[in-house]
Amino acid sequence: MTLPPATVSTRGGGLSTAARGRRKPSLDRISFMAVFLGIPLAIYLLFVIWPFLQAFFYSLTDWSGFSPSFNFVGLDNYARIFTDDLFLKALGNNIILLIVVPLVTVVLSLILATLVTVGGSSKGQIKGLKNSSFYRVVSFFPYTIPAVAIGIMWGQIYDPSGGLLNGILNGLGLNFKDYAWLGNASTAMWCSIFVIIWGFVGFYMVLFIAGIKGIPSEIFEAARIDGAGRLRTALSITIPMIRDNIQTAYVYLGIFALDAFVYMASLFPNAGGPENTTLVMSQQLFFTAFQRGQFGMATAMGVVLAVATLIFSGLVFLVNKLTGGSDGGRL
Amino acid sequence: MNVQQSFARRGFLRGALATAVLAPMGGALASCASGGTAPAGPTGQVSENNPFGVPDKSTLDAVIFKGGYGIDYVEFAGKLYEKNLPGSTAKISPSTAISAELQPRFAGGNPPDLVDNSGAQSIGISTILAQLEDLQPVVDAKNLEGVPIKDTLYEGVLAPGTFDGKLVAINYVLTLFGVWYSSSLFEANGWAPPKTWDEAFELGEKAKAKGKYLFLWGKEAASYYLELALSSAIKEGGDEVRVALENLKEDSWKHPALTKVFEALDKHVKAGHFKPGGSGTAFTAAQAQWSNNQDALLYPSGSWIENEMKDQTKADFKMMGAPVPTVTTSPKMPYEALHSGGGEPFIVPSQAKNKAAGKELLRVMLSKEAAANFAKTKLAPTVVKDTVPADGFGSTALVSQTKMLEAAGKNVFNWQFLDLYGMNKDVLVVWNAFLDGKSNAAKLAEDMQKMSDKIRNDASIKKVEIK
Repeated sequence: MTLPPATVSTRGGGLSTAARGRRKPSLDRISFMAVFLGIPLAIYLLFVIWPFLQAFFYSLTDWSGFSPSFNFVGLDNYARIFTDDLFLKALGNNIILLIVVPLVTVVLSLILATLVTVGGSSKGQIKGLKNSSFYRVVSFFPYTIPAVAIGIMWGQIYDPSGGLLNGILNGLGLNFKDYAWLGNASTAMWCSIFVIIWGFVGFYMVLFIAGIKGIPSEIFEAARIDGAGRLRTALSITIPMIRDNIQTAYVYLGIFALDAFVYMASLFPNAGGPENTTLVMSQQLFFTAFQRGQFGMATAMGVVLAVATLIFSGLVFLVNKLTGGSDGGRL
Repeated sequence: MNVQQSFARRGFLRGALATAVLAPMGGALASCASGGTAPAGPTGQVSENNPFGVPDKSTLDAVIFKGGYGIDYVEFAGKLYEKNLPGSTAKISPSTAISAELQPRFAGGNPPDLVDNSGAQSIGISTILAQLEDLQPVVDAKNLEGVPIKDTLYEGVLAPGTFDGKLVAINYVLTLFGVWYSSSLFEANGWAPPKTWDEAFELGEKAKAKGKYLFLWGKEAASYYLELALSSAIKEGGDEVRVALENLKEDSWKHPALTKVFEALDKHVKAGHFKPGGSGTAFTAAQAQWSNNQDALLYPSGSWIENEMKDQTKADFKMMGAPVPTVTTSPKMPYEALHSGGGEPFIVPSQAKNKAAGKELLRVMLSKEAAANFAKTKLAPTVVKDTVPADGFGSTALVSQTKMLEAAGKNVFNWQFLDLYGMNKDVLVVWNAFLDGKSNAAKLAEDMQKMSDKIRNDASIKKVEIK
């Protein structure tokens, strides 16, 4: 009996406060704005926008990183990095990662997510495979391991003489004695991509599971009554209903693929892999800054990296929009 | 109304963001993180006991690379320093990433008073050359025992820290390079460390017969074979080989002496004297295959190898070092000549607040007590002579180091260009491919030449003339 009037009075009070506030700003309202808008904005300006601008400024100089002085060299650094064969090689490697890693990871985790949520028995309630919660937990394991540890661990697994992989292959009667998976230009990149995907699939699977769980099961049931099989359901219901999640995943994975520093640095310490086949831009940036002492050039690389990331994100949004997705998404 | 309100709020945010982007552009850009020139800090009374004039009751700020040697040896010297200058404090801080950690301090004009610029993330010395103190006064000064420091040092140990004729770094640890082997294994099989590449090839064949390899390598340490090749070529062709390489001369990698060494190594690679798969093996794992499994007979490395592999060396592995093989039996420098470098380069930044204190701590470290403490606790000699007893504290490797040094006498050499121009990363790529059999002697020389040419032709890289 007391409940309905209370609700009414709260709503009324809220409205009247808002109306009063718009007319003359009270101390309450100003302090609210200062705390919730002013402080975050100041932090954002100081720690995000300002470093960005500084980085761009330094990319136009020949600063060594250690000296107090430097000269302005205009766009010289940009001209130089775009004629540097190693940087271009690194850029190319990043593009390979950018094409392969998000695509394979998203497809793989979508399949797994579908299996453990709606891929189960086609009779009775909509559910996943038997023991699906077990698979879900197991496939999330790799994500809980720090990337550096993953790199070191897989470095050991790929070890030519004592590694697990060659041990298994030799045990199967194949002759892989002393084959250096990470030491050959033809296999190093693909082995690294495998490690990266291995590390990420679990997380994106969980992300997609959450998305699929948000779809009302009536829709799946209706589709099933209409005679849709599992593949049809996945393509026509699951994917369109969680496309915002997929876009988010794609953007995150793309940003990661353009970086990839941690994995590459732990799989190939101090160098760019065999014939530089796994060298990525962020590694080249790090070497240029801290070993060559060319901070100006390194920040120019950083700017290129940032621009590449923005272009990629823009492309993903554009593609999603062109193919009929919602505007903006849930990023 | 609700929609309107939301639009108004967005408008406000958008406006704020635009201001945020535009505001800092207004002129503030020019005032970046750079600092001005540091004031020449206060100086104290110069005396016999305080030759650099450390101010009374001042604090010394030293940042020491914390790697294989730890920082306790500097702390030990710090205690002596505090005892010597009562009332003063020595603050010794460890760091594992010297470059990244100290970069803001250098750029901001407040670097530490003493830095051990070592480790994989050390600061490229050429980038800070102009900002370093001349350390000649330190070696000219007398140590705590009253003997001029320069008279107590091994031959050639100051060369690695001298650039453009200015002594900017004092390498504290003496490092010898050679090939390392187990004398017990060699005795049991009647083998001897090879003196020429022909002998090395014979030994490789003998090893093969025993189911072993002559050499092995790890992916991060493929550059050790560049060290081996350079040492051998410099002994063969004399100092001119080194000088040409140091100064990035055209075709310096095509010197006949280098060509012969590369060809000799290539012969080993093609004959299967290298354990395959090194380019995919972590160097620590590879080194354990040598010191523990004894898969290979020889390993080219610096004298730190004994300490590094202490826990992974077979019980009866009596580690000894030998000079690297020469091409002919009559090289320009004798077989006994050595590549002797230094580890742990200590530098004193010119902008440091208390640089006198930095020099003073170095003086203490180079005195007998601190140097002897280092040799005893780290089983490695410092650049200070006569700190290792005849029994080498029970270490065969340490004894053989002393012998190698005595045999070499004045025939020691060292090169700086690889570190100076930060070439290690690119060297690893080229050498892994070569040792893997994916390239050959001619291609190796060409790849190295290309690397050298690229640096020479890059006007933005400051070149240092090396003699």
